[in-house]
Amino acid sequence: MSDYLLSIVLLSPTAFAILLLPIPRRWKKVHRVITLIASLIMFAISCRLWTSFDANDPGFQLDIGRIPWIPQFGITYHVALDGISLLLVLLTTLLLPVVVLAAWSFNIEHIKSLHISLLLLTTGMIGTFVSLDLFLFYIFWEITLIPMYFIIGVWGGPRRIYAAVKFFIFTMVGSVLMLVAIMYLAWFHHQSTGIWSYDYVDLLATAPLVPTTGGMLAPGLLVFAAFALAFAIKMPVFPFHTWLPDAHVEAPTAGSVILAGVLLKMGAYGLLRFNRTLLPDAWDRFVPLLLVMAVIGIIYGALVAMVQTDIKKLVAYSSVSHMGFVVLGLAAGTQASTQGAILQMVNHGLTTGALFLLVGMVYERSHTRQIADYGGIAGVMPVYTTIFLVFTFGSIGLPGLNGFVGEFLILAGSWEAYPAAVAIACLGMVLGAVYMLWMVQRVFWGPLDNPAMRSMPDINLREILVVAPLLVFISWIGIHPNTFLSPMEAAVRLLLAP
Amino acid sequence: MFTPSHADLLSIAPEIILTVAAGLLLVLEAFLPRTRRYMSELTIAAVVAAIWTRLYLPLPGEVWSGMLRIDATAGFVDLYILAALLMSVWMAGPFLRRSESEFGEFYSLLLLATVGAMVMASAQNLLPVFLGLELLSIPLYVLNAFLRRQQASVEAGLKYFVVGAFASAFIVYGIALLYGATASTDLATIGRLVVSAGSLSPLIAVGLAMIVGGLAFKLALVPCHAWAPDVYQGSPTPVTAFLAVVPKGAALVVLLRLVAEMDLPRLSPGGVVAAGVAAVVSQTLGNILAIVQRDIKRMLAYSGIAHMGYALVAVFVAGVDGGAAVLVYLAAYTLMNMGAFASIAMLSEREDRPHLISDLCGQGYKRPIAALALTICLFSLAGVPPFIGFTAKFVVFRAAVNEGFVWLAVVGVVNSLFAAFYYLRVVYSMYMRPLPQREPVYRFSLPMAAVAAVAALGVLVLGVYPTPLLDAAYTAILSLVR
Repeated sequence: MSDYLLSIVLLSPTAFAILLLPIPRRWKKVHRVITLIASLIMFAISCRLWTSFDANDPGFQLDIGRIPWIPQFGITYHVALDGISLLLVLLTTLLLPVVVLAAWSFNIEHIKSLHISLLLLTTGMIGTFVSLDLFLFYIFWEITLIPMYFIIGVWGGPRRIYAAVKFFIFTMVGSVLMLVAIMYLAWFHHQSTGIWSYDYVDLLATAPLVPTTGGMLAPGLLVFAAFALAFAIKMPVFPFHTWLPDAHVEAPTAGSVILAGVLLKMGAYGLLRFNRTLLPDAWDRFVPLLLVMAVIGIIYGALVAMVQTDIKKLVAYSSVSHMGFVVLGLAAGTQASTQGAILQMVNHGLTTGALFLLVGMVYERSHTRQIADYGGIAGVMPVYTTIFLVFTFGSIGLPGLNGFVGEFLILAGSWEAYPAAVAIACLGMVLGAVYMLWMVQRVFWGPLDNPAMRSMPDINLREILVVAPLLVFISWIGIHPNTFLSPMEAAVRLLLAP
Repeated sequence: MFTPSHADLLSIAPEIILTVAAGLLLVLEAFLPRTRRYMSELTIAAVVAAIWTRLYLPLPGEVWSGMLRIDATAGFVDLYILAALLMSVWMAGPFLRRSESEFGEFYSLLLLATVGAMVMASAQNLLPVFLGLELLSIPLYVLNAFLRRQQASVEAGLKYFVVGAFASAFIVYGIALLYGATASTDLATIGRLVVSAGSLSPLIAVGLAMIVGGLAFKLALVPCHAWAPDVYQGSPTPVTAFLAVVPKGAALVVLLRLVAEMDLPRLSPGGVVAAGVAAVVSQTLGNILAIVQRDIKRMLAYSGIAHMGYALVAVFVAGVDGGAAVLVYLAAYTLMNMGAFASIAMLSEREDRPHLISDLCGQGYKRPIAALALTICLFSLAGVPPFIGFTAKFVVFRAAVNEGFVWLAVVGVVNSLFAAFYYLRVVYSMYMRPLPQREPVYRFSLPMAAVAAVAALGVLVLGVYPTPLLDAAYTAILSLVR
């Protein structure tokens, strides 16, 4: 039974989505309750996965083997977990109940479709993190597009259609070329071994042999570039980030949280899992480019965040900066920096997710996200202000909270190899403190000029429940990061082994 | 004198059933016009009988002294042609009642056109190819113009007729040239001569080019595509659905047989280049022009041009992989288009007005079944998993990559980005824009909803589990590619 737990976590969201289909649209409460129960069950199962996980085993666990799916092409259903996937699955299943609870007060139409979309999206996200067959991985990767497109486009802000289409097309630009690259790798495997397979474990043996010499158009480099483009757009890395602010700002709170919390991580995960291990030679050639893009992203994201007038847009650009740190850690490629990068993925999911939730809460009360409209609300919403401050500190890397651990590991781990990049990235940390604290100052302190803000109710019990789990986890990571670092340590060591 | 044997007659039992039914419907229409109400059901019964016989009677291979070749490929294609017919007839009943044009001739002509397509799909000789083509085309000219009080419908009929006559002339001239060069119209004989000669003589090359050019009109490949948007738009929607799928399938099979018998990829490098260019241009032009369409039927016409570009890639990649990819693509294309047109027929208010995409605003919640079916079919056409359209594209591009045509796969996938753009526009009109001020009047129809739902379900189920379809296609193609 416990062997199938992973498949249960993966497929049960879809099963619940199908269960919601026949329930009438009018019964909004029923949809909410069923989805919440489903998400709590999934979180419980992932915690069970976590406790039964053997941290000393660097390989894939809970592997029930390859189940033939499209035998003509050697495509199988093959899912398993290693330490890296485990953390990201935990993050996904933690954020789902949070999001469902956050959308409770969402007084909008089509509640049923929203919950079905969220559940289908969850299957796609978890599938991306646990698939070991590249075809299966691609399917899950693409499946996430459709529900997210609807979440942004149906329940989003005024420019939602533009943002939704932009999100869809941008992501697809990257992924279609990745599909050709996957086909090429399978063909190359067949050429070398005579067997058709899309399995990651099989391709690990042959993909590194794809020639990378012979100029810019060597197949290995092109395959690498196709994968890297897909992941760079998703993360997003500096020149490919333009879809992100639009999508984040227009998406409803639930969409922003999932988008920042999990969808961006799919890109970083893919870069580490596939680019790094399948094409190590090409990786070495591309490291300088990745470093440059990472550093530019860190500084650029922070500078642009500083001049934003919309709180949500500010948080969106801060994501570009934070994901720059993740790329830096991955590109530096030491044990510490890689572990730091993976932890930073989780950190970013928790803090940025929480910030989007918190911004959503005041937006529901005041219907504005302009920094200029606020000021002095610390006086009327003291509890809210305290919670917001804690997450702000987590985001800017105050010791004792999660952000510090991730960024410190990344910077310390990268220092030896790339001191210049680390020096510039440190500047990015300073800028991060500047834009976040400046925003906090303008929103929470100063005179309470806006009369509409004077009667704003403070955060209520349900809203505290929404952010409480995130609060627990960011403090836990800050105080005892080893709980989260140790399960992935062996896996990262294996992954980085030459 | 040639007397057909028992086996000959049995091998074309489905065609005989359809022809008899077509005749019967004409007689009923003339003498018992009150039976019109039941003609749709009668036709469905005939089609089901034909499907049943095709499924359970053996596929004997060459029959009618080598004129026809009822092999596994023909069986596979026949089945999907019959499935397309079934869905067209099913949605035609309520459609004709709604547009006050319920006449028995409609079904009769549709059945005859299907017989033509089936003859084409199993033709082993150029004469039945031509015979089938004409039997397919002439009823379609009438069907296009069936809503004779509507200018657009009559215009569609006329346009398809003029272009079709042109294409037929091309093909018949090509056949004459081939006959002049080889003294035979038998594909196997011509193939043997060509392969043993090791190259194409100028006469044969020109003859083949004319036949392929004529087929390109039926496939609506660039540069023979200009008729498609007007004809799609003007024809009655069930006829558009039939026209979008059946002639293209029959023409592709003829093309597959030509390529396989004459070993064209090896013998005619120039032809391969021309086909590659036609495929790329069809994809790109079709997709780009689809973006600017405001009428959804015109949009699907341009998308059809692009899709035939994808299928053409598989045709000349050839081999077992390429051939199977063509068959899979056809099956996928049939399901997606049937679902899309059935949904459009349900969602459109009146037949004599353009089917504007902007008229679909807000329909997502008003007509959930039709809108959801249309959404699934459009995502599938765009090539997004987990739908059959993605699997079909995957099979085609995989075949191309395996044969070393990586660049074609790259062009193809980049093209699907343009495609995603215009398919998404329909989806967001339905779900993300508010209903218009003046709410259109709709009439729910169970048969149309059933066709849309069945097709959409097929798109989803075969997308998630394509193995049975792939198995059937790979088994079938072995009868053709040796």
